[in-house]
Amino acid sequence: MLSDLLFRLRAFFRRKSMEAELDEELHAHVAYQVEKYIQSGLTREEAARRARLEFGGLDQMKEECRDSWGVTLIEALLRDVRYGLRQLRRNPGFTAVAVLTLALGIGGNVAVFSLLDTVLLRPLPYSHPDRLYMFFPVEAKSQRAMVASSYPNFQDWHEQSHAFQAMAAFHGESFNLTGATEPERLDGLSITPGLFALLGIPPLLGREFSSNDNPHVVLLTYELWHRRFGGDAGIIGKSIHLEGRTYTVLGVLPPHFHFPPDRWGSAPEVLVPVIPNPERGWNYLRVIGRLVPGVSEQQARTEMKGIAARLAQAYPNTNRDQGIALDQLSQAAVSDVRQTVWVLLGAVAFVLLIACTNVANLLLSQGATREHEIAIRTAVGATRSRIVRQLLTESLLLAGMGGALGVALAYWTLPLVASAVPQHTSFFTRVHDAGLELNSTVFIFTVLLSVLSCALFGLLPAWRTTKPARISGASLRTGRIRGALIALEVALSFVLLAGAGLMMESLVRLLEVDVGFRTERLLTMDVNLAGEKYSPAEKQAAFYGQVLQRLESLPSVLSVGAIVELPLTRSETRNSFEIPGPHPRQGLAGYHAVSPNYFHTLGIPLLSGRELLTADSARSPLVGVVNRSMAQKYWPDENPVGKTIIAVRIFVQSTAKGSSIQFKPQELEIVGVVGDVRQLGLDALPDPELFMPYTQWPSNEMALVLRTASEPFSLIPVVKKEIWRVDPDQPVTDIKTMDELVSTEAAGRRFVLQLIGVFASIAVVLAAVGIFGVASFWMHQRTHEIGIRMALGAGGRQIVWLVVRQNAKWILVGITAGVASALALTRLLAAYLYAVRPTDPLTFVAVSLLLLAEGLLAVHIPARRATKVDPLVALRYE
Amino acid sequence: MADERIDLPQGTLDLLILRTVALGPQHGWAISERIQRISSDVLRVQQGSLYPALHRLERRGWIKAKWGASENNRRAKYYDLTRSGRKQLEAEESAWRKLIAAVGQVLETA
Repeated sequence: MLSDLLFRLRAFFRRKSMEAELDEELHAHVAYQVEKYIQSGLTREEAARRARLEFGGLDQMKEECRDSWGVTLIEALLRDVRYGLRQLRRNPGFTAVAVLTLALGIGGNVAVFSLLDTVLLRPLPYSHPDRLYMFFPVEAKSQRAMVASSYPNFQDWHEQSHAFQAMAAFHGESFNLTGATEPERLDGLSITPGLFALLGIPPLLGREFSSNDNPHVVLLTYELWHRRFGGDAGIIGKSIHLEGRTYTVLGVLPPHFHFPPDRWGSAPEVLVPVIPNPERGWNYLRVIGRLVPGVSEQQARTEMKGIAARLAQAYPNTNRDQGIALDQLSQAAVSDVRQTVWVLLGAVAFVLLIACTNVANLLLSQGATREHEIAIRTAVGATRSRIVRQLLTESLLLAGMGGALGVALAYWTLPLVASAVPQHTSFFTRVHDAGLELNSTVFIFTVLLSVLSCALFGLLPAWRTTKPARISGASLRTGRIRGALIALEVALSFVLLAGAGLMMESLVRLLEVDVGFRTERLLTMDVNLAGEKYSPAEKQAAFYGQVLQRLESLPSVLSVGAIVELPLTRSETRNSFEIPGPHPRQGLAGYHAVSPNYFHTLGIPLLSGRELLTADSARSPLVGVVNRSMAQKYWPDENPVGKTIIAVRIFVQSTAKGSSIQFKPQELEIVGVVGDVRQLGLDALPDPELFMPYTQWPSNEMALVLRTASEPFSLIPVVKKEIWRVDPDQPVTDIKTMDELVSTEAAGRRFVLQLIGVFASIAVVLAAVGIFGVASFWMHQRTHEIGIRMALGAGGRQIVWLVVRQNAKWILVGITAGVASALALTRLLAAYLYAVRPTDPLTFVAVSLLLLAEGLLAVHIPARRATKVDPLVALRYE
Repeated sequence: MADERIDLPQGTLDLLILRTVALGPQHGWAISERIQRISSDVLRVQQGSLYPALHRLERRGWIKAKWGASENNRRAKYYDLTRSGRKQLEAEESAWRKLIAAVGQVLETA
């Protein structure tokens, strides 16, 4: 088989030498024959004459030999290609429209596919990533998976499991790095020894942690090593300052190392050993393991189930009803966006289908104008399959050119996609880590897609065009096919438009949400204090007090506030509280330590009672302010002001040995009620929130909010300078305006909307072009008929109506089919919709009207032209 | 004598070529001569079918061609049997024998 192919290819590509050899071989034969005759007594002339006569037609024999070389097939194909190219060149307008249409369809698919490749297909940059698994403790009753586990549980899993050759645990943390230059807040990761051996990534310099290392050792990423330490080759063994303590550098990681590869891990730059916490109920570690080669996922699951059961029996207080779920790291890392990628690919596939429908329609029109040529070719003996092959070759050429241009389009759009990717999603992490690129997988996809689209748009027209005896009534039938294609196009566009419309409405409603405060000219920043340096906690409150005072006095600062967790950042500490009385009740609320001026700075209205005051100090009675939701939920019929609640205070003590945690109930009096704020996010309805003075509930992690008189960013240098006057080693991080926070909140939806919006726009344009093309063709075919009608006295309006009626029918069919498909498909977008149902009637009606208007407009232009037909010319037509 | 010559039945030429080449590398003219001689001039190979057949067999990989010098110092294209050609020859030979036997039987008894 292979040798056969090689022979054919040699025959094809080394044609000249094959010909020469054949010539020589045949001449040698004749020469032998001549010699034989001479030996038998003939004269040389007579011998030569007889030999040549016997041999017969040389050229015909050569032709037969060539046939046995098997090159005719290749040659025929090449002829088809040449002929096809000539055809395409002869109709530059048609070719340009078809290629451009296909390029839009294929290019969009290539771009989305390369996103899919990056997010779902390309392996994570660790050794044998398919054997890396994440562990999730599961509450057996609710089947709710948690992210973190405790240190003792991790140790027990590690010791008892045989299915995993290695296990490691880690948790995210941040550190204040101080030293020669500006203090910096770094994302960090606490890890157990052996994580790097488990990942199969050896450090570039030095070594990773071992269990004998003291807790104050650190690994640096390559990037941090270059940024902060100038790539100092002698860094190993040197000291750096984190959280005001000295850490010894043990190693430097290779470039582009990133772990964990999911959206929760920001970008850790320093890695330190995990401080073990001996409490089994303190879940703070995420656990990863490497499966022993040959062990199946099922075996591992069964084993972990057994371990979980044993632990549940041994430690019922903490582990009762706790199972352990496993998920491949590569799966767990992109769980948030997997469905989105497929939805996007589905949406862009619709665009390609519309493009193919358009090109199929163009080819049908072409076929009609080529009837003559095809008739002649059939008359001189070409079979139908031969002509179909010719037409398909032309389609393949179109698809190839469309594909090539599509790749170019994708190449040009990929940087745009990469920059639009929303933060805090796996899109961002994976694109940031692996980049978007046109690699071999994407190229293979492109080639397959081009061939597939060629089949989609080429087969039907080739079949129709070559159908024998297509003179009578056939054009009526193609009319129906064209109509069906138009309906298909309209239906597909409908789904895309409905999706984009729903998304757009969601985004608008989301951005219109009343967040409960004024967002303009608010500058926010995180000022997180090093725990050990600012201990005991009174020091923390003292620091923030000084900073707030200094910032208040800045000329363009109208007001300053501080809070532990800013609104719209998707994080807050929720805890329980008790309402004492003869029938004590339990409640749940977000706990926030704030500065007195916080409400005034944000513009949160006071509804009753009083705000927090500077006078509420560490030595005065504990007080708190609740929001409207909390007041309504727990004191529906009375005013909570003056009531007492028992709140839980958490003390986390971190020492070199480990961290310990204590809960202490404390009574506090509610002194005021303030308005609701969207604390968790734009789309999260307000929950009960409890605000307490930071002097009474000190924290080392507070965010500052400044209402500024001028453009907020211009204040950054002054603000930093004032903070550094209090502590020159204090990092100021995450400086943003509140408007930016709002916009980041909507980023995920905006990204999906942008892509679907682009696809829908392309779909609308393509559909308009398609409808226009079909209507023009219809009019062109009927010029004769129109001429007769006009000659018999039909007015312009009647002619327009004739054309519109013919085509509007199919547009309406398309809209109906579109409504049905959209009803079934927009559900897939539910996760991205806000305050809009997937079947929102308003959107559906608007899209229907839009498509109807567009269709009628596209039909109207050729219809108007039809009325300009001169009956005399029309009657002579054909 | 000319009357005794018969045209080759369809498909037998390949078998004869393979059988002839099995004796050792031969060029086209020698192959046709040899078939003619061994069959006592009964079988006559038409050049018009010989060369296309040779090239087809070469493409199938049953024989391979090599240029060499002939007895009288002329450059000639020699054909030789390949390993897969030998297998093919065996298969065709036994098929042929079966056919002959069967045809013979029918002629004898019918």
